[in-house]
Amino acid sequence: MKGLAPLFLGIFGTFAFSWIGLTVIPTWQIGHLNPESDEEGTDIYPRPQSGMFTRGEHVYAANGCVYCHSQQVRADYIADDIERKWGNRRSAPRDYIFERPVFLGKMRMGQDLANIGARAPAPEESPAPAAQGAPISSPPPSQAASPSPGTSPASAASPNASPPPGQRTGAASPSPGQMANTTPGGSSPAAPSAQTPGAQWPIQTAGLPPMYSAAWHHVHLYAPRSINPDSNMPAYRFLYEKRRIAGERSAEALQLASSDAPPEGWEVVPTYDAKCVVAYLMGLNQSHPLKEVRSVGGAPAPAAPAPAAQGASPAPPVGGSPAAAKK
Amino acid sequence: MDYGEQADVQQVHAAVQREKREPRVGAEPLSIWLIAVYGLAIFFGGAYLGRYSGNFITGGLDPMGSPPAPKKAVAGGPGGGEQAELSPRDRGKKIYAANCQTCHQANGLGVAGQYPPLAASEFTNGGSRRMGMIVLKGLQGPVTVKGQQYGTAVMQPWDKTLTDQKIADVMTYERSEWGNNASPVTAEQISALRKELANHPESFVEHDILAAPDEDIPGGAPAGGAPPKPGEAAKPAAPPKP
Amino acid sequence: MNTTEIPLKDPAVSAAAGDTEQLERAYIDASTRVPVLMFYTSAIVWLIVGTVLAMVVSFKLHSPDLLSGISFLTWGRLRPAHMNVMVYGWASMAGMGTAVWLMARLCRVTLRFPLLLATGAAFWNVGVLIGVGAILLGDSTGFQWLEFPRYVAVILFVAYTLMASWAVLMFRHRRGDQIYITQWYLLGAFLWFPWLYAAGQLMLFVVPVQGVLQSAVTWWYANNLLFLWFGAIALGTAYYMIPKVIGRPVYSYHLATIGFWTYALFSSWTGMTRLVDGPFPAWMITASIAATILTMIPVATVGLNHHLTMKGYFPLMRYSPTLRFTVFGAMSYTVFSVLGVLISFRSIASYVDFTQVSIAYTHLGLYAFFTMTIFGSMYYIVPRLVGREWRYGSLIKLHFWASAYGIGLMTLMLLAGGFLQGTNLENPTLPFSESIETVLPYLRGRSLAGILLTVSHFIFAYHFGLMLLGLGRTSTVPTFLNPVEAETSGGH
Repeated sequence: MKGLAPLFLGIFGTFAFSWIGLTVIPTWQIGHLNPESDEEGTDIYPRPQSGMFTRGEHVYAANGCVYCHSQQVRADYIADDIERKWGNRRSAPRDYIFERPVFLGKMRMGQDLANIGARAPAPEESPAPAAQGAPISSPPPSQAASPSPGTSPASAASPNASPPPGQRTGAASPSPGQMANTTPGGSSPAAPSAQTPGAQWPIQTAGLPPMYSAAWHHVHLYAPRSINPDSNMPAYRFLYEKRRIAGERSAEALQLASSDAPPEGWEVVPTYDAKCVVAYLMGLNQSHPLKEVRSVGGAPAPAAPAPAAQGASPAPPVGGSPAAAKK
Repeated sequence: MDYGEQADVQQVHAAVQREKREPRVGAEPLSIWLIAVYGLAIFFGGAYLGRYSGNFITGGLDPMGSPPAPKKAVAGGPGGGEQAELSPRDRGKKIYAANCQTCHQANGLGVAGQYPPLAASEFTNGGSRRMGMIVLKGLQGPVTVKGQQYGTAVMQPWDKTLTDQKIADVMTYERSEWGNNASPVTAEQISALRKELANHPESFVEHDILAAPDEDIPGGAPAGGAPPKPGEAAKPAAPPKP
Repeated sequence: MNTTEIPLKDPAVSAAAGDTEQLERAYIDASTRVPVLMFYTSAIVWLIVGTVLAMVVSFKLHSPDLLSGISFLTWGRLRPAHMNVMVYGWASMAGMGTAVWLMARLCRVTLRFPLLLATGAAFWNVGVLIGVGAILLGDSTGFQWLEFPRYVAVILFVAYTLMASWAVLMFRHRRGDQIYITQWYLLGAFLWFPWLYAAGQLMLFVVPVQGVLQSAVTWWYANNLLFLWFGAIALGTAYYMIPKVIGRPVYSYHLATIGFWTYALFSSWTGMTRLVDGPFPAWMITASIAATILTMIPVATVGLNHHLTMKGYFPLMRYSPTLRFTVFGAMSYTVFSVLGVLISFRSIASYVDFTQVSIAYTHLGLYAFFTMTIFGSMYYIVPRLVGREWRYGSLIKLHFWASAYGIGLMTLMLLAGGFLQGTNLENPTLPFSESIETVLPYLRGRSLAGILLTVSHFIFAYHFGLMLLGLGRTSTVPTFLNPVEAETSGGH
C-alpha cells in the first residue's frame, strides 16, 4: 500500500463504521426512552431514584459487586432465569433508563440481582390507607427497610406467604416467630416504621432475618458464610462498625449468628454506606410489566408484593393482557 | 547502566550485524480454497444477520421478530400460548396471587385475628355488593366473619390500584374457589358500584358494610352461580388495562 | 533441517549496502533506546504488580476469607485493579515500547526527541498509579475496562499525546516507498486507541448515554481495545518478527492486505457478543455475532500467511526465543478467535454466559495472544538496546514453558469449569449454589496455573533486570534456547 491517505481513510472509516453502527445508531433507537405510564398517568415505570439509592449505586460500583452479580433477566425461551424466579419477565432497555452506571453484569458467581428488591418479604401489616396515596410503581428510594414480617408467626408458617422459595443458597430458612425486629438500613420515614410498633432491638437468636429483607442483606454483607457456608462472597466488614452498646441496643444492630456475633456488650451497626447499598438492593425491582415485553410466570415474585410497600403494579396482568403480548 | 558502545555507534554491535535484512513481502496469489472459505464465512454471517435481527425494528428485543410461544406451560396459566383466552376466573387467580394472597393466604383461610378468611365466608358467598364495597374502598376496624373476630389489620382500598375488570375477575375467582359457589362478577357491575361510591372517601367499617343490602350488584351477571368454564369469557369486557 | 542451511545474510545484498543498512539500524536503535527501555521497564514493573494482584484475586475467589474484611483488599476492588494494571500498565506500555521501536525501524528514521516519549511514559505511569490507587480506595467508575476515574483519563490522554504523536510523525517522515504490513497495523493501533478511549470517555462520562447503552458502549470499547489496540500491535509485531528472524519474505501481499482490512472491519463489530441475550435490540447482538463469524476471514488469512511464511522453518523455533514466543502468540490468535465464535452463538451462549468462560476468552486474547507475542518481541529488541545478549538461555526456556503451561492450564480450567457452571445455571431444578460448588475446584486449578505464571513473570523480570544493569552476555551470538546444537548457525 502506498500513501498515507488511503491508509488513514481506511483506518478512520473502519473505526467510524463500528462506532456509528454499535453506539450511535442504537442511541438513536433506544437512547431516549421515556418511562411508561398508564392512562391515568399515575403508574409510572420506571421512576428515577435518588438519595440513598443513588449513593448505594456508587457503593455498589466502588466495591465491584458487578464482577460477580448480574442484573439482567434473560427471556424465557433462551434461558431459565425466569424459571429460577429471578424475574417474571425478561429485562428490557426501558428498565435501566434511570440507572447510572448500569450494572448489567457478565458474571454470576452470585445470583442475579435484577429483582432482588422484588423478592423481599412483604411487611406483615398493611399500612393505614392514608399512607397509601397514589399507586407506587417502584419502591420509593428511601424505602430501604422492608420491615420483616415481625409479629405473625402464623403467616410465616403458611407456605405460600413465606418469602421466596427455593432456599437457593441452601441457606437456613427463615425460622418463623423469631423476629420482632426492625430492619436496619434505610431510615424510612413514615409508614414502614410505623408498622412495627414496639419493636425494639433485633433478637439475637440462632435464626436469621427473613430472606432478602433489609436485615438479611446486612447480615449477608457482613458475614456471607453465616447464611450460606459454601458462599464465596467477600465479607464486607469494613462497611460496618463494631461499637459498644451505649445504653440500649441500637435498632439497627445486625442480628448475627453466634459465631459472627460481637462479644457481650458490643453491637455491629451498618455505616451509612451499608445502609445505602441495601437501600439500592431493595430498590432493584423489574417486576412491573412493560408493554414491549411479555410477562411470564406467576406472581412477579414469590413473595407477592405486599399491598403496601412493594406496589410493583396493580396486579400485573400476567398473561392476561393482549397488549402485553404484543411484541 | 552500561549500554556497551554508547559512545561510538560506528562500531555496530553484533546483534545488528548478524541481523537479516528488514522484512519484505512476497506476492503469491490467493488460493482458491481461501476464497471458498471467505464465501462460506460471508454466507453464514450474512444469513445469521438476516435471520436473527428481529427485523431490525427499533427496540425489537427478540431475534426472530417476536417471542416464540412459551416453551413450558406458564405457571398458573392453563395453557400458555395466547394469553388473551384466559377466563376471568383464571385471570382472577393471578390477580389474587399478586395482591391478596399475602394476607388472605393461598388457601383463602386468612390469619387468625388479623385477616378474615374468604373460604366459606358470608361476605364472599353473599351478594357481590358488600364484597365489592370492601374491595373497592377497603375495610378497617373489627369485623366478624364466620363467628370469629378480626381486626388488628387494615385492608387497603383497591379502587385506585386495580381496574374494574381486575376487581371483577378477582372477585369472580374468590367467589368460586375453596368451595365457594357464588355468582361471578362483571366489570360493568364494579363500574357501577364505583360510581355509587365515588363520594365515599374513606374505607368502610363493619357497620357500613352490614348496612348495605346483601345483594348482587345490579347489571349483567349471567344467571346461576356456576363460574364460567375456562376458556369461555364471561362477558366480552373491555380489554384489561395494563 | 540442517543448521548450516540458515542463511547468514541474504546473498543478494552487497557488502557495502549491508554495512550502510546496519549502521542505519544501529543509529535508529540508539535513538529509541531510552524511551523503549523506559516503556519496557515500566511495563515489567506493572506486570509484576498485576501478577501479584492476580494471585490474590484468584485465591480469594475460592478462599474468600483470605485477607477479608479490609476495604482496599476486597475482591471487588482487587479484581478491577488487577485488570487495569494489566491492560493499561503492562500491556499498553509493553505494546507501545515494541511499536515505537518497530515504527522507527520500518520508517527508517531515527526517533527525535526521545525525552518527550520518556516524559509521556512517566505521565502514563503516574496515571496508572493514581488510577489503581483510586480503584483500591473506592473511586472506581463501575464500568468494566474503564474503571479509572475521570481525572486519570485526562492524565492518560496527555501522556498518550506525548508518546504517540511522535510515532505518527515518524510515519509521516518515513523513508522508502513501500509501507510494510507492520506499519499498517501499528498506524492503525496508534490512531484507533485515542479514538476509542475518547469515544468511551465521551459516551460514558461527558455526554452519558442512557441506560443499557452504557453497557453497549463499555463492551464495544473493551472488545475494540482487545482487537484494534492490542491485537493490531501483536499482529504487526508478528508480521515483523517472523519474517525477520527466519530471513524469508512474508508469503503473500494480497493475503496481508485482505487480512488487515477485514480484521479492522469485522473485529470492531464484535463488542456485543459479550452481552448476548441481554436487554438490547436483537439486531445489535446479531450484528456482533455475524461479525464474529466474519472474523474467520482475517483469522484464516493471517494464519495462512504466517503458516506459509514459516513453512519449512518451524524447526527454528527450537532455537530462537523470539520465534517461539511469536509463533505461540500467532497460533493463539487463531484459537482465541475460534473460541470467540463458538461462545457467541446464542444457543451456546446461554450455557456459557455469566460463567468463567468469558474470563478464559479474555485471557486467551490478552495473554496467550498479545502478551506472548510481546514477550517474543522483547527478547528480540532488548539486546539491541543494551548491547548485550540475554544471559541465561535456561531462564528464557523456563519463562516460555511456565507461561505456556500456565496459560494453557488456566484456559482449560476456566473453560471446563465455566461450562459446567453454565450447565448447572441452566438447570433450574438445581439450586444456584450448585453452580458455584461445581466451579470451585476449577478455580483452584486456575490458582495453580496462576502460580506458574507468577514464577514465569518473576523470572522474566529478573532476567530483564540483569540486562538493564548491563549484566547480559557480551557475545556475537544470540542466546538460543538450545545453544549446543545451534552454536554455528548465524543470523538472529
